[in-house]
Amino acid sequence: MMGTLAGFLGKEMKQALRDPRMRILLFLAPIVQLILFGVAISNDVKNIRLFVQFDSADIVLQHVSERALASRWFLPANADRNSDPFELLRAGKIDAAVIPPPGGLTRAIARGDADLQLLVNATNVLQAQSVDSYLRNIVTRVVQEDMKLEPLEAPIRFDTRVLYNATLETSYFMVPGVMAMLMIINTMILTSMSITREKEMGTFEMLISAPVTVSEVVFGKTIPYMVLGMATLPLILGVAVIGFNVPMRGSLLMITIASLAFVCTAVAIGTLISTFAQNQQQSMMGGFLFLFPAVLLSGLFFPIENMPIAMKWMAYVDPVTHYLALLRNIMLKGGELDFALQRIGILTLMALVTGYISFKRFHTTLQ
Amino acid sequence: MSFRWSRTAAIARKEVFHVLRDPFTLGLALGLPVFMVLLFGFAIEFNVKNVHLAVFDADHTRTSRQVIDTFGSSGYFIIDRVPSPEGAFHALSGDHDRAALIIPGDFQKNLYAGRTAQAQLLLDGSDNSTVGPIISYIGSIQTLAGRRIAGFDPPEPVHFKSRFLFNSELNSRWFVIPGLAVVVMAILAVLLTALAVAREWENGSMELLLSTPVQPLEIIVGKLAPYAALGIAALAFVYLMSRTVFAVPFRGSLLVYGVGCLLFLGAYLAQGLLISVLTRNQLVAMQVAIMTGLIPANLLSGFVFPIESMPAFFQYLTMIMPVRWLTVIARESYLKGATFTEMWEPFAALTILCVVMVLLATRKFKTDLEP
Repeated sequence: MMGTLAGFLGKEMKQALRDPRMRILLFLAPIVQLILFGVAISNDVKNIRLFVQFDSADIVLQHVSERALASRWFLPANADRNSDPFELLRAGKIDAAVIPPPGGLTRAIARGDADLQLLVNATNVLQAQSVDSYLRNIVTRVVQEDMKLEPLEAPIRFDTRVLYNATLETSYFMVPGVMAMLMIINTMILTSMSITREKEMGTFEMLISAPVTVSEVVFGKTIPYMVLGMATLPLILGVAVIGFNVPMRGSLLMITIASLAFVCTAVAIGTLISTFAQNQQQSMMGGFLFLFPAVLLSGLFFPIENMPIAMKWMAYVDPVTHYLALLRNIMLKGGELDFALQRIGILTLMALVTGYISFKRFHTTLQ
Repeated sequence: MSFRWSRTAAIARKEVFHVLRDPFTLGLALGLPVFMVLLFGFAIEFNVKNVHLAVFDADHTRTSRQVIDTFGSSGYFIIDRVPSPEGAFHALSGDHDRAALIIPGDFQKNLYAGRTAQAQLLLDGSDNSTVGPIISYIGSIQTLAGRRIAGFDPPEPVHFKSRFLFNSELNSRWFVIPGLAVVVMAILAVLLTALAVAREWENGSMELLLSTPVQPLEIIVGKLAPYAALGIAALAFVYLMSRTVFAVPFRGSLLVYGVGCLLFLGAYLAQGLLISVLTRNQLVAMQVAIMTGLIPANLLSGFVFPIESMPAFFQYLTMIMPVRWLTVIARESYLKGATFTEMWEPFAALTILCVVMVLLATRKFKTDLEP
């Protein structure tokens, strides 16, 4: 039995890595995605084109404008001072505009009826909210300084500290997320496509007539992808820690065990998909049908707390949710033992259940 | 021999049969958009609610209870009491809570003595989807607590009023769903095409097709037409869902939006074809299609992550990506109602990209066939 299995494993490994392009892709794809997630994208607000309508006598508003432009958030709008801010916004020449009360802000404050209006392009909701609160802060501070107002001490103050990621580095959040995504893409889709390829090429029939048992076929076809999946772990962990300075505060053993449980689940799901699919195109589409909700509901992009109850349940049965929580907990928080055990337990249970179902289905297909 | 529509139609008919015979693929191709729109429409809400807040109250006074009550009644937080400050830390590190409030024993005493009463608020910085919004709530809760408990109402020299143009209620769905059409089309166009054509190479049936009197161009058009139809069907579906189920306004012209989508579809179908010709293997084709089609559609299109926030290199890189331009066209058409002349830039870019892609793909396809 072991001999057959070993032969199978060797064949499968060779097949997966025979194509030099595949070898490159298998290791290049993770790096490219890590770079995209770690460097390119962020929810930070930057380079908002701000248009402030002030005349030279309006000192307070001039200071507001200077203060805003001194930060990385805003760029000066390339527009004539007298142009209509609505038109500029509509034409997409600016992203936000500050409109003073008639006669200028400085004089209006002296009069005691200063209404300052902000117009902001809200097609991007997140950006619009941040711009609003940021400018509000700047205006409050500048007015306080310019009007020589005594800064009033608030009676109740919350001393706020952000733990585990004090400077809110985007890469700290994103890199564990992309690690989870990469682990599942590389294992689940490759497993299901490689099994369906046998079906498509007709070599599956040959396997049935060969003197191998079903479990040998199943393990022979799946173990190589578990190995491949686990082999990408040190690669992406290395890039994450060395390339992006994401801290690794927990134990390597814990992260390895968590990853193993996750990879087994992913491979079991891949096998399950392959029992439904007739060809590679189908198995790939099936993989995506699983992958999209799995990644979107995992809490990587959108908070699970906000989802309607049905989707919350979907998120809880999603292995990516648990693996992502594990990665963040282990890498950023140092790995809380009861939490890790609980989540690894859930993943293991998922792997066993899916593994059992796909094994049963595989069995019926082979008979 | 010249291009003949009859032969093209024959290839297209064969491909349609191929898709129809395979209800699984068809179901997925049509099911995926449904699924994604529902998922995005219902799951996405950037304004975080129901954040679990661990609370340790060492003061046990009327004031401290009022502070906790201010958090609870804000609607953003769910209060979980913990027995000790260590318990609060533990709740954060064990992922039970996203934030922790620790009220020291001298809280009320300080307030009554005229000093600032300070409480410590700890936030879990490992989860970006909640920490940002929570930080933005704290300021207003602090002001509210000051007003309710100590009657502290600082004068406001300036009334700052914001108008959110094009999406005045800051509805997250209006922001996400228009961009979703782009992602759905990208999946259908690049992935399905790349795989369908790569399969012909893999099975050797491409050689067979080429030995018939059918011209290469006819093969291309015939093979791609059904997938273009699928893409358009998915697009129409996303549009109908967005208008009926999610009530996203469409303020622009359908014609302008449609032209943009067709240009995009052309570019992406050509890209799928190019990938299949270059790889001739479904597994490799899939990987390349994910890297060059799907990931850019999700991450570099401005769909969720703003392009202005990217480093300069990536900002330039997105210029050669059709997804960026169609996302602009979709959002401007839906929310702003922009006209063709207002959007000449994305249209020009999309046209150029489409022409270049089609030329590249057909050139490569033809040269590969020369004996």
